[in-house]
Amino acid sequence: MLRKILKQHTGPLTRDLVQEPGLFGLGKVPSRLKPASTTTSVCGYCATGCQLKIHLDAFGNAINLSPQSGYPVNLGMACPKGWQALDPLDAADRATTPLLRDATGTFQPVSWDTALDTFVTRLKSIKESHGHESVAFLSTGQIPFEEMAFLGCLFKFGMGFLHCDANTRQCMATAVTAYKQSFGFDAPPSTYADFEESDVIVLVGSNLCIAHPILWQRIMRNKRSPEIIVIDPRATETAQAATRHLAIRPKGDLPLLYALANCIIRDRRTDGESIANTTGFAEFSEFVKPHTPESVADAAGLTPEVIEELAAIVSQSGKRVSWWWTMGVNQSHEGVRTAQAIINLCLITGNIGKPGTGPSSITGQCNAMGSRLFSNTTSLVGGHDFADPSHREKVADALGISPDLIPAEPSFAYDEIFDAVEAGKIKALWIVATNPFHSWINRSRLDTLREKLDFLVVQDMYHSTESARAADLILPAAGWGEKDGCLINSERRIGTIKSVRKAPGQALSDFRIIRLIADRWGCGEMFSAWTHPEAVFKILRDLTAGRPCDITGIENYDQLDREGGIQWPCPASMKTIEPERRLFENGKFFTPDGMAHIHFSAPSPLPEPTDPEYPFILLTGRGTSSQWHTLSRTGKSKLLAQLAPATPYFEIHRDDAMALGIESNASVSIRSRRGEIHATAFIAPTVQRGHVFLPMHYPEVNLLTHPSFDPHSRQPNYKACAVALSVPST
Amino acid sequence: MKTATIRRIPAPPLPVTLIDQLLAEQVTLGTPAARFAEIHDRVPDLADHYRQLIPLTKPGLGEQYAFEVALDRCTGCKACVSACHSLNGLDEGETWRDTGVLLGGTNAPGWQQTITSACHHCQDPGCMNGCPVGAYEKDNHTGIVRHLDDQCIGCSYCILKCPYDVPKYSKKRGIVRKCDMCHQRLAEGEAPACVQACPTEAIRIVKISRDQKPETRTEAGGFFSSIINNQQSAIPDYTVTQPTTRYVAREIPATAFAADRDRLVPQPTHWPLVMMLTLTQAGIGMIVTSTYAGRSAVTLLIGTLIFLCGMAASVLHLGQPLKAWRFFLGLRTSWLSREILAFSLFAPIPLVLCTLSRLPDFPFKNLCYLITAHSALPLGFIAIFTSVMIYHDTHRSLWRFPLTSARFFGTACCFVALAYAIIHPGFEATECFAVVAIVKLIPEIHILLLQRRYDVSTWFPDVHSARLQFGPLRLLTVTRFVLACLSIVTLAINPWAALPIFLASETLERMIFFKSVQAPKMPGTFGVSPTHV
Repeated sequence: MLRKILKQHTGPLTRDLVQEPGLFGLGKVPSRLKPASTTTSVCGYCATGCQLKIHLDAFGNAINLSPQSGYPVNLGMACPKGWQALDPLDAADRATTPLLRDATGTFQPVSWDTALDTFVTRLKSIKESHGHESVAFLSTGQIPFEEMAFLGCLFKFGMGFLHCDANTRQCMATAVTAYKQSFGFDAPPSTYADFEESDVIVLVGSNLCIAHPILWQRIMRNKRSPEIIVIDPRATETAQAATRHLAIRPKGDLPLLYALANCIIRDRRTDGESIANTTGFAEFSEFVKPHTPESVADAAGLTPEVIEELAAIVSQSGKRVSWWWTMGVNQSHEGVRTAQAIINLCLITGNIGKPGTGPSSITGQCNAMGSRLFSNTTSLVGGHDFADPSHREKVADALGISPDLIPAEPSFAYDEIFDAVEAGKIKALWIVATNPFHSWINRSRLDTLREKLDFLVVQDMYHSTESARAADLILPAAGWGEKDGCLINSERRIGTIKSVRKAPGQALSDFRIIRLIADRWGCGEMFSAWTHPEAVFKILRDLTAGRPCDITGIENYDQLDREGGIQWPCPASMKTIEPERRLFENGKFFTPDGMAHIHFSAPSPLPEPTDPEYPFILLTGRGTSSQWHTLSRTGKSKLLAQLAPATPYFEIHRDDAMALGIESNASVSIRSRRGEIHATAFIAPTVQRGHVFLPMHYPEVNLLTHPSFDPHSRQPNYKACAVALSVPST
Repeated sequence: MKTATIRRIPAPPLPVTLIDQLLAEQVTLGTPAARFAEIHDRVPDLADHYRQLIPLTKPGLGEQYAFEVALDRCTGCKACVSACHSLNGLDEGETWRDTGVLLGGTNAPGWQQTITSACHHCQDPGCMNGCPVGAYEKDNHTGIVRHLDDQCIGCSYCILKCPYDVPKYSKKRGIVRKCDMCHQRLAEGEAPACVQACPTEAIRIVKISRDQKPETRTEAGGFFSSIINNQQSAIPDYTVTQPTTRYVAREIPATAFAADRDRLVPQPTHWPLVMMLTLTQAGIGMIVTSTYAGRSAVTLLIGTLIFLCGMAASVLHLGQPLKAWRFFLGLRTSWLSREILAFSLFAPIPLVLCTLSRLPDFPFKNLCYLITAHSALPLGFIAIFTSVMIYHDTHRSLWRFPLTSARFFGTACCFVALAYAIIHPGFEATECFAVVAIVKLIPEIHILLLQRRYDVSTWFPDVHSARLQFGPLRLLTVTRFVLACLSIVTLAINPWAALPIFLASETLERMIFFKSVQAPKMPGTFGVSPTHV
């Protein structure tokens, strides 16, 4: 008794943490968060595509989550963004009602009826006075492809506009173009099991450890003691964990890759059988001849010996070599050729279509791959080509519309849309689930462009994003967790997301918003079958028949859940659906001649080289695994936010810092020809002399970046521009 | 309610617009039980995954559980942090695990290592030794250091005592909470949340012998022992509490240091403690003087009031003051328990003295007064000594015995001189006060000067404190010195007027004491401040 009075081993505070078996294969869970049932949903951040098990209360409301153990992607693991995926839904700055800017410039809540009327009236009148090219949308890789398809089809076929693009332009347009030119279709060939089956893993411009921690997990599961090579100007977390790090010069990757091809061809370490499935090898051999290790050493920032050594490692006969790249390659002024230089190395060494091989882009966004097939922006919906009359005919037929409604001409790319706004050609913009006023390269230009727009609509979960704050009309959107649909991950795996939370206020899923707009525009009839996401899934599925991305063998969402996601292709003829499949095992490609095409061109200089006035190269990239893009979601999770610096910081080499008198944690001015920002100095062991690194998540960063683009993919070159540093005098 | 006998005529249906229909759909959640549920009890899905990561058997005699972190597998993805938060159902923003980064190496690009840490379940836990009410227990069988949430009084002393910044105070609950190694899971053969969730299997639970020293337990390099060779690492001194976590599989270079080392973020002010320390010391000084220097009733009264205000302030520091009666449970190890006892013994003295001086004569009144008055000095000394020891016992550099005793006893001495000057104003008293007050400033100036003496490439805890005092705390520091000088001048004119000025100056000194201390912790991330819920 006395002991009990003296020591309180139990009580209300202790009970808060008591656990009990959670059932559903969960093990112990906190008693107060014990689920009544569970469901699954693919994570809505990056393109790794982890499946999460959502813990539901008796009303079907999500109360917690944990990673799904049996899923072939993540095997029961998730990064902190996935773990905290429910947090951003509860943010105080959710848009809960349509907001319309009044005459005084302040937002006023309005009904959906008024919002839709305003939307339709304004856009119709702009179309009437300025034509069908005067309105554009900028969408996203962050919503289910049923929504993307609805948006793209309504906009082009129903509303009759032409120009649209998505933020996928900022993330994987380069990979798309590279694959299309090389393989005849936008087809990343690998499956994640290849990480576990490689002998040599080469990561180019990829900080896998923090950008895609679950893919690094797959590498760590590799039992073949692989050589892990990181090619990156920065000694990233991944470089620190790799077996070999090649700290190249920024944009030294293309010359390096050509030199590798040179060595491999010179030493006859090529694979004839694989080369037989390609065209352009002879010209390529000729082209790379001058690209000797000695001649590229300076541009690559590596010694000829290191280059020779790398060439030998990636062409060892009998060894499985897989190449993976991310934004270091994609976000470049010559990213397409760099990606193709990687593809070419795989083709000439026979590292394609076999376990543990392949040139694969690791995509950024959860549904970038869905956007590539179904967004109806750059490619005609369902993996088709706008320019091909037979494709237009087929799609029109399947959708029950006139082929004349399908434009043959291409849409402007993202940067071209902004140019058209500047030229006064585009008068209205509709931004869906993306934040270009933060993320677009040299973003201060957008403030000027805003003045030129007659009407800006932003459809988003939050009324607080940089872009929403610039809008005339805000349409409140439901987010991941509040809607159904499908996402496609980097290895072409289609998985479902589920509605497990009620959207706040009058927020509606993008699907429902688009459906309302279709109805109000007068296209209700055309889209009468597009009633809910799964109905649209089936329409889209049927559209893919006969294309490389044929998924006619997928019955419905339930089957996707049952199978642990299904990779495309999955034609109706497929008897058994293996959980992990790679492309090109038969050596046949999707080009008309069935061959892989070898593309190359001479490396070009940096768009903005350093000079005495701007002597540093600015690198940008992911800061931490708890930060995502413009922080519009991860910044709303208290836990995620406190795991990363709240204010911008930059990494600088110790010697540079000393030379400039910059102390650790000092506030430093960083200037480019486009703007000036202040950031805290992190004297880091990661960057080389002459470089500074800024994480991309802070709104200041794109005040500095240089607007140059890959000529083939129109992807912005975020990763290298010239800046100057100075310590503000106090 | 009566059953309706007449069938109601249904109201004409309202025109349902598509907007209404879709808004209704949007807030209708699926029937998950029917559509997606997979309800059955079974072995946890991840059991196969973590079976290798926890010991097969419970710790034997002389053994305990410990975390083991394979540094070559940790990449700082922070999944462990999130999983700890989610699987333990912690409050918003609360987590018992954290990650950080070590920097170092002499090559370019240099060396970097991410590191994950939770409670180290120490062999000699500082939190447990410091807790005045026995709210910590080291489990006999598992060695897990458990916090008894319902026993905790929220005094936060464990936070000051832990060299790894592990216990975190929850304002909402008025108590601290910390990692319990998921003991409920371990008891059932399940892995702790962080172990389950690490994508690269970097964290595991191992059994270690209870008497092994950490430097022999860390096979490679020795994270904990790197402090021995490297004063600048900002890695806590493991000898204080004997942490049990093993960091293995990667050498730590001698040049390694914590990535957040140079960040100049002041520590919490602890207002109630600032007031408690300053006012009780001032009060004791005045009371003691009043008993010797001519039995001054006014200074005794003022001193008593100041002292009692200090005592009252101390209660404000407790999140659960009603549970504080158990303070005697910690007397064996906790200086905080001893302080509570010492102050409880001292507190009646001034009250008795004040009362006696107002009572009519009674037999032995004078003797009573004398006994009480003469116990004021020794008991006051003991009380202040326990205060000093509380801070000295945290092993924080700025709070070490010589510096803290100079501050605490110094304050008391200054108020002795000040009270004397009030009772016997004059040049001699002023001179006396000036000397004591200036002598007290010397150690403070000594710390400040370190900022000038060392350039930014040098780091040690005291210079960190000096940089804080020169940097973010500059205004406080300057004001403290100006007020101290001003009080000396004022005292020459009017001793009473000097009292509030000097009290303010000493309060600022005590704020600086708390805010500029270098609090040891596990390495953090650049630019990220340690969190408190």
